[in-house]
Amino acid sequence: MERRGLSCRRARAGTPRLVGLIALAAVLWQPAAAQDEGRFDIRSAYTSLRDGVYFLDARVEYRLSDAALEALESGVALTLELQIEVTRRRRFLPDPEVAMLRQRNQLQFHALSQRYVVRNLNSGEQASYATLYAALNAAGRIAALPLIDASLLDDDDDYDVQLRALLDVREIPGPLRLLAFWLDDWRLASEWYTWPLRP
Amino acid sequence: MAVKTLKRLAYGTLMLVGAVLWLSALLLLSKTAQSSAEFGRLHELILLINAAGVLILLVLIAINLLRLVTDYRRHVGGSRLKARMVTMFVILTVLPLLLVYWFSVQFLHRGIESWFNVEVEEGLGDALDLSRTALDILMGEYLQRTEAMAETLAAEDDVVGALSAFRTETGATEVTVFGRYGRIIATASGRTSGFLPTRPSSEALMQIRQNRPYVSPEPLADGGYLITAVAPIPSRSPADEQRILQSFYLVTGRLSSLADAVERAYTRYGELVFLREPLKNSFTLTLTVVLLLAMLSAVYGAFFAARRLVAPIQQLVAGTRAVAQGDFDTRLPVPARDEMGFLVNSFNDMTRRLAAAREQARQSQAQVESERANLEVILARLSTGVISLEPGLELRTANQAAGAILGLELEDRLGEPLGSAAGESSLFGQFVGVVERRLSTGEADWREQIVLRGEAGRRVLTCACTALPGEGGTPGGFVIVFDDITALLQAQRDAAWGEVARRLAHEIKNPLTPIQLSAERIRRRYLSSMSELDAQVLERATHTIVQQVEAMKEMVNAFSEYARVPDMEFSRFDLNQLIGEVIDLYRAHEHGIDIHLDLDRALPEVEADAGRVRQILHNLIRNAEEALEGAPDARIDILTRLHRQGDHHEFAEIVVEDNGPGFPADAIEQVFDPYVTSKPKGTGLGLAIVKKLVEEHAGRIEAANRRAGGARVSLLLPVNEAARSAMTPGTPRRHDVQRERA
Repeated sequence: MERRGLSCRRARAGTPRLVGLIALAAVLWQPAAAQDEGRFDIRSAYTSLRDGVYFLDARVEYRLSDAALEALESGVALTLELQIEVTRRRRFLPDPEVAMLRQRNQLQFHALSQRYVVRNLNSGEQASYATLYAALNAAGRIAALPLIDASLLDDDDDYDVQLRALLDVREIPGPLRLLAFWLDDWRLASEWYTWPLRP
Repeated sequence: MAVKTLKRLAYGTLMLVGAVLWLSALLLLSKTAQSSAEFGRLHELILLINAAGVLILLVLIAINLLRLVTDYRRHVGGSRLKARMVTMFVILTVLPLLLVYWFSVQFLHRGIESWFNVEVEEGLGDALDLSRTALDILMGEYLQRTEAMAETLAAEDDVVGALSAFRTETGATEVTVFGRYGRIIATASGRTSGFLPTRPSSEALMQIRQNRPYVSPEPLADGGYLITAVAPIPSRSPADEQRILQSFYLVTGRLSSLADAVERAYTRYGELVFLREPLKNSFTLTLTVVLLLAMLSAVYGAFFAARRLVAPIQQLVAGTRAVAQGDFDTRLPVPARDEMGFLVNSFNDMTRRLAAAREQARQSQAQVESERANLEVILARLSTGVISLEPGLELRTANQAAGAILGLELEDRLGEPLGSAAGESSLFGQFVGVVERRLSTGEADWREQIVLRGEAGRRVLTCACTALPGEGGTPGGFVIVFDDITALLQAQRDAAWGEVARRLAHEIKNPLTPIQLSAERIRRRYLSSMSELDAQVLERATHTIVQQVEAMKEMVNAFSEYARVPDMEFSRFDLNQLIGEVIDLYRAHEHGIDIHLDLDRALPEVEADAGRVRQILHNLIRNAEEALEGAPDARIDILTRLHRQGDHHEFAEIVVEDNGPGFPADAIEQVFDPYVTSKPKGTGLGLAIVKKLVEEHAGRIEAANRRAGGARVSLLLPVNEAARSAMTPGTPRRHDVQRERA
């Protein structure tokens, strides 16, 4: 499990995107077609306390856009990132972050074996699947992921856990990344899924 | 000045920082496009910097363009040149940029396309197929072994032993027999530490359920493959538990490394093929951003350069306008030590010299004006008449004395041709006639004594003309200077007569008495001793001598009287009364002349020498009586009038008229000269003495003939000292004294 510092903040969509989009529309313009834009959804998520440690179980449904799928089939490795944050709930002030985890899986098509390889970048474990569905299913299944030690939490406070899955475009090749920044096909991210952290 | 320098410094620094930032952003952008992972995080910042750069440049250009259009419409100096320069600069920079951009994009696209080759792609595909086939053969072999083992195990009771033997024989990494629900029945593994055998994957189980063996290559993270082969173990009886055999084989060595290499090459090539369009677009995008920024910078640079170049010209235009409007104090700031700076320096030098020249001209003009004013004052006070003429003989200037001498107000006639300006004044007409005659002969410089004849008699002028300098040898006009020397001549004549009188008195009077005494002695001595006839002759002769000597004595006495200059004894008296007393003496005479008086009662007392005035009256009345001798209805009119000049100067006028024969018309000017007389008797000194006495009072006397016949003598006497001192030549005007001929 990778635990990042408390100061880490999640990246949010920036305004320059709009300005840039207008300026570069001519270069990037492509006729709209009936394409699958993809969708990431958190199907279920819950925490359970075992032996003084909160564990996360979640089901994420990854549906890749056609553009991402095409890239994957062409050999481009995609990084699926799962962002998990534990925040202390406050009434009027912004909720401070107590812990933040990033679970990253790399999905790649192995041309020789014709299999989809899912590699956990946190643990280095790797597994291959005959179908994309099986691979995405495997990547989206989070079972008993240690989240936070209960001793780090104050019993008097209320905590929330929020979770989202997204396609990390920073890890894709440069040329594609430059364009992916402007294209919706590549902006794949689920909504934040939030629930209270309780034993 | 310091603020301006600071501002310029700050502006320059800002521009430099902006340029460095922009260049860095462009470099980073190009790095990003080349897939350098470390710049991934700066991606947004880079784009933001570039977008901000574009925006700032657009705003700057828009402001400059707006200012230029406004200036152009308002015809601000230098705006047209600036517009032309901006257009030229923009064309010169943007066109090559666009050209380079177009060719760069073309080369870029072609370059990227050239990376890819159908043959290479096919070759890689074939290599992959080959690797896969090799792997398939290997997998078939392993599956076959597994299936054979499964057949063996169906009848084998010692499963564990058989598995160990099988693993050792086939080189499998792990061999496991699973029962229902994944129950591990037996396993054999090369690994020594404790572990659980890997369960069959769901894919494998699904296939086994369909009673088909399963074989699959599992790519390993560290390279190589793990081949999984799963086969069902045939049941000895239908009631037996369904068992499956799963075995793992590690593919290592050359085959594995070659397969990996081929796979990596294929994947990399596939990725490149896939990235071909994004790569093109990314580079195009980068190039476009670079072009956009470079183009906008060039356009802004064109505005900036044009502004810098035109600014001194605009200042020069403004300076020239200021100089044209007469502001010679304009000084322009020197832009730099270049040609423009030299020009501006020259301009400043020019304005400085112009200012100095203007100041000098102003001083000269002031001096000229001052001198002219002085000259005007001098000319105005001058008793000499001065007239200047244009080359076409139009009257340019004339002083007061000129008008007074010529009996005309010349100030009102300036600019008029000399001929028409002559008008009704006969004096001026004669004067103009002489001038035109002399100038028509082309004679510019001349001197002449002119005699003009007016109603008041002869007027003698000395006249000098000279040409004013003009252009091209032709005269720029003429100046005529003239003096009325009538009075001077008269005075000279008077002085001469005075001298004659004194000499006569001195030289002639002295021998007269001895002559008379001698004649009387001869008469007494010889008369008694002579015969009657001789006595008569002697008597007549001595009588004639004595009589003529008496006559000569009278004449000499009259002369001495004329030359006598006794002291004036001024007193105040009533002139009218004095006239009355004098007239009473003449009324007593029985000479048959009617004397009429018309005396002005408003006449104040006159401050004069009463004896002299009395003599004036005696002489005038006697002169009239002598003129009226033998004339029928003889009549003498005596009148007095008061004349005022200004507020305080008063003159008493005395006019004595008769209805006699009048003065001879040709000798009217000489009537006051001694020995000029039209009468059969008289010394001819009467009127001369009168004139002398009047002039001793600073008065004036004029003689004329009445229109109705007869003579008229009028004289002006100053009433007091103030009037006497004001009695300058020309005042009061001669025409104030009426002249008529009876």
